[in-house]
Amino acid sequence: MIRRFLPDGMLLAAALIFPYSVARIFLDTPIERTMGTAFKIFFFHVPMGWLTMLMAVICGVAAAIELRRRSTTASAVALAAAEIGFVCGLGVLLTGPIWGNATWGKPWTGDARQMSTALLWLVIAAYLLIRHYGPSGSRRLAAGLAIFGAVDVPIIYYAVKLWKTTHPTTEVVGSLPPALWAAFWPGLGAILLCTFGLMGLRIRQLVLAEQLDEAWVRVTDREATDGTDLS
Amino acid sequence: MEPIFPDPTPEPEAAAEPGSEAPAQAAEVAKTEVADEANSVPDEYAPVAGRSLKEVEQVRMLESVAAQKVARDYQHIIWAYGILWALFAGYGIFLWRRSARLRADMDALRRELDGPA
Repeated sequence: MIRRFLPDGMLLAAALIFPYSVARIFLDTPIERTMGTAFKIFFFHVPMGWLTMLMAVICGVAAAIELRRRSTTASAVALAAAEIGFVCGLGVLLTGPIWGNATWGKPWTGDARQMSTALLWLVIAAYLLIRHYGPSGSRRLAAGLAIFGAVDVPIIYYAVKLWKTTHPTTEVVGSLPPALWAAFWPGLGAILLCTFGLMGLRIRQLVLAEQLDEAWVRVTDREATDGTDLS
Repeated sequence: MEPIFPDPTPEPEAAAEPGSEAPAQAAEVAKTEVADEANSVPDEYAPVAGRSLKEVEQVRMLESVAAQKVARDYQHIIWAYGILWALFAGYGIFLWRRSARLRADMDALRRELDGPA
């Protein structure tokens, strides 16, 4: 029962927290001295970046389980995570250059963090294309791509530590002053609830679609054996 | 040969004789230096050299325009937040359409199974 209504509950909670987080960000948070109003992009850009990486890891792990056990649920989880990762990744890759244009004067500097994130997004896009349009035997290739995407995640995380980048380091969130910190968590919570709610709905749809396909196959088989047309 | 540049260090004055006014004068000079240091203008308010008052005012005006522009940079914010919410709304519509298609498929299957009865 709880499992059935969990995604809807998460989406409802997200719908309640979103207006609060936006009000906090725009009405209660002070304007950052050097970056000005453009800094407010941070409050959703960073959670979207974290979610892209998290979804890539979930997709990679689920794809590995799918490869090993041929599990329908794992396959659905991998596809749903990839779709959410695609949406969040696109959000990061579009809001990042907007913020960069406002603060660096250049939307794209081509540093390691940007390039590795773009690579992850392309891998996710390739995975989705193979899953949606690939031939029946292409699921193994898709799973391999998903695992490759998960391997890219630590590279994205450590890119700002390993190479000289214009992108801020991983310590920014930890060093936020209390006023900005208090506005960051509601936004992160809302976006987490929203994405996991949408992911839950998508998993349910994919499992249902798989069951429907099996039911259609059974009905068609019965028609063929009985020699009767049920329609 | 005479040096081209004279030595900038001043000639040492003749040693003060005991009981003269030299130590008292030195103490007075030191006191004045300390007072000057205390009353001196901080670096950030140091007079601008090599610029006319008009130029300085222009620079300050441009700086204040830039600061206001940074503080009220709503264009970037609107674009960023608009894109984020449009993406989520787009994915929500995609899920809703998939759901409608699944429901139609399920109804068709139900009709198929109920048909001969």
